[in-house]
Amino acid sequence: MENINYKEEIKKKTSKPLLWIAIMSIVMFFAGLTSAVVVSQGGGSFLDVPMPTAFTISTFVIIASSLSFHYGLISIKKGKFGIAKLCVLVTLILSFVFIASQWMGWTYLYENGIFAVGSASTSSSSFLYLLTALHIAHLVGGIVSLLVVFFKLNKNKYSTEKYLGVQVSITYWHFLGGLWVYLYLFFMYIIA
Amino acid sequence: MSAHHHNENDFLFKYIFSTDHKMISKQFLITGFTMGFIGLVMSTLFRLQLGWPGESFEIVELLMGSWQEGGVMAPDKYLALVTMHGTIMVFFLLTAGLSGTFSNLLIPLQIGARDMASGFLNMLSYWFFFVSSVIMLISLFVEGGAASAGWTIYPPLSALPEAIPGSGAGMTLWLVSMAIFIVSSLLGSLNYIVTILNLRTKGMSMTRLPLTIWAFLITAILGVLSFPVLLSAALLLVMDRSFGTSFYLSDIYIGGQVLDHTGGSPILFEHLFWFLGHPEVYIVLLPALGITSEIVSTMSRKPIFGYRAMIGSMMAIGFLSFIVWGHHMFLTGMNPFLGAVFTFTTLLIAIPSAVKVFNYITTLWKGNIVFSPAALFSVGLVSTFITGGVTGLILGNSALDINVHDTYFVIGHFHIVMGLSAIFGMFAGVYHWFPKMFGRMMNNKLGNLHFWTTIICAYGVFFPMHFLGLAGVPRRYYTNSEFPMFDNMVDINEFISMFAVLALFAQLVFMFNFIYSAFRGPRAPQNPWKGTTLEWTTPVEHFHGNWYGDIPEVHRWPYDYSKVDANGEYVTGEDYIPQTTPLGEGEKDGGH
Repeated sequence: MENINYKEEIKKKTSKPLLWIAIMSIVMFFAGLTSAVVVSQGGGSFLDVPMPTAFTISTFVIIASSLSFHYGLISIKKGKFGIAKLCVLVTLILSFVFIASQWMGWTYLYENGIFAVGSASTSSSSFLYLLTALHIAHLVGGIVSLLVVFFKLNKNKYSTEKYLGVQVSITYWHFLGGLWVYLYLFFMYIIA
Repeated sequence: MSAHHHNENDFLFKYIFSTDHKMISKQFLITGFTMGFIGLVMSTLFRLQLGWPGESFEIVELLMGSWQEGGVMAPDKYLALVTMHGTIMVFFLLTAGLSGTFSNLLIPLQIGARDMASGFLNMLSYWFFFVSSVIMLISLFVEGGAASAGWTIYPPLSALPEAIPGSGAGMTLWLVSMAIFIVSSLLGSLNYIVTILNLRTKGMSMTRLPLTIWAFLITAILGVLSFPVLLSAALLLVMDRSFGTSFYLSDIYIGGQVLDHTGGSPILFEHLFWFLGHPEVYIVLLPALGITSEIVSTMSRKPIFGYRAMIGSMMAIGFLSFIVWGHHMFLTGMNPFLGAVFTFTTLLIAIPSAVKVFNYITTLWKGNIVFSPAALFSVGLVSTFITGGVTGLILGNSALDINVHDTYFVIGHFHIVMGLSAIFGMFAGVYHWFPKMFGRMMNNKLGNLHFWTTIICAYGVFFPMHFLGLAGVPRRYYTNSEFPMFDNMVDINEFISMFAVLALFAQLVFMFNFIYSAFRGPRAPQNPWKGTTLEWTTPVEHFHGNWYGDIPEVHRWPYDYSKVDANGEYVTGEDYIPQTTPLGEGEKDGGH
């Protein structure tokens, strides 16, 4: 029993800091890549098509998903677990809508002759695909954490006092939203 | 009372998949030293070629087979060995080996925690490191040989699989290995930072932390901020190699044929690589400096001089390390104004570095020095840090660097300031904390022999390199005997190589001492060096949880050595006061 309490205490103390430092690492990863875009553009590698409208839609979708998840957390704090489940489910659905919207963005680019690789590609076009794909790769981690939260909610594992897992998941989810907004603005004002 | 009770006594969980930080520390040490020894043997082999170019060493053929056909090293194998030596020494020995060993061993023990924040992530960190080590070694045996583009793996040699033999499968495995290595490093660093910030025992304020812990903390922060950038560089390289992108490539001809790459730039890789590369110097150095702070104070029986200045200087070094990467790129056509900015930021690092050296020397000054092997290696570090630091002032200055760029001057500089300082710190740490790791003492006489032969050989190898560099001898060349202007350098190269061979034998003395002492050395007392820090309050025998009963509370800073009262008597009757001893009435805490 004492052992379990000790482990719980450590988890409580360290879960959020572990996530924040992991987020710092991810920030540096994307900072490295977006800096690379800026350096590459010194060689005159720009895109001459407007950004896909789908990317704008994605931006609204991911912001909406953050809001719904946040409302879910507030509901858990108030003990309204039914609403919380619904919010997390909506967030999950929006995450898949986001991915579909990104896919549509890529299709638009492809049809306008903007390729990820090959002789017709440029470093800017490759960066565009790569950055969006890497964002989705990180989003997959967020979706896994959403699924865990959803199943735990269904199994009544959270209470109005005990919801650390939700807090960790939501922090990461908000970060993913913020990261996408940064990338979107970067695409709009630097690459395009 | 142990905090962990499950099946940890099973062989598998005790020695292989252990989550106990002390066992993981030993795993890092053994793996790191094994890799380091392999890297050392590689350097000895290519030094044979450089010292006696074209001469046959038939005995080496037994070991190297077709790499050394007729006893003479083939040029492409030479390049592979140079590349692998650099990679192994920088990353596998001095990054993972050094930080992995001592951060794991000392963070929980010195801050008063039962283990790391996540034992599981810690275990994963080691196993990722192990797998990356194995993959890196396997890359020596693939068709075309190991990566050969130098440890900095600049494109286009690294980006085009058809460029040179080592650009093929060997380079691919290099990238795979390093990607896994970076994951290992990130998992480790995450754990170190969170453990230090969140799991300190009662009374262990940040200004009561031993300087080792400060060094590990800043090192880990540098790691989580810089390794992801190397990962992004490697990712773009993989894309160029395997998917036909042009991040680093443009207007390339191979065998008269134009390749299908436009718009990229190899200089981009240099920016990304050195954004990690320079902090990496301090990722390697800071743990060694932290270890030295601890040992210099303990072994001179004096409080560390300028505790807060030491912390401040490490922070300054850490910060500055992120804004100096351009000094590796003065020859890339950089705008001279930008070059001047990088020169300025680089030369600024001399200030906190000088503060550290000054504080080491003033700590030792008039100390009652116990010349244990650990103390000798620590003093050796101070020596190499000064010698190598002085030449850093030349290389950090764009106007001077241009003359010696890519020559043996650079090799001499970074081997002394980074390689020797870090490995001396690591040896010092092993000699000092061996009793804590293995419960036994190492042999001091063999340790002294190891130190003196190593430092003489080290200077014998690297000091003359500066003169080679000033004469214009370029690095990485298979042989310099083809160039008449370097004819008078043959004797210096021979001199260097003789010391390199001798240095290898000196390390065999250490290996014998290490292995013999781990099994047959005299049993260690609980606090063999009369240290003040918390690790010496744990029992000699290891168990998961570190302390029976409650974790001790801390009442004072860690450097209360030779503290006397108004009558000139030792406060506790001994020349040291453990951190667990409450402050006396009216007594001031040293760190404040």
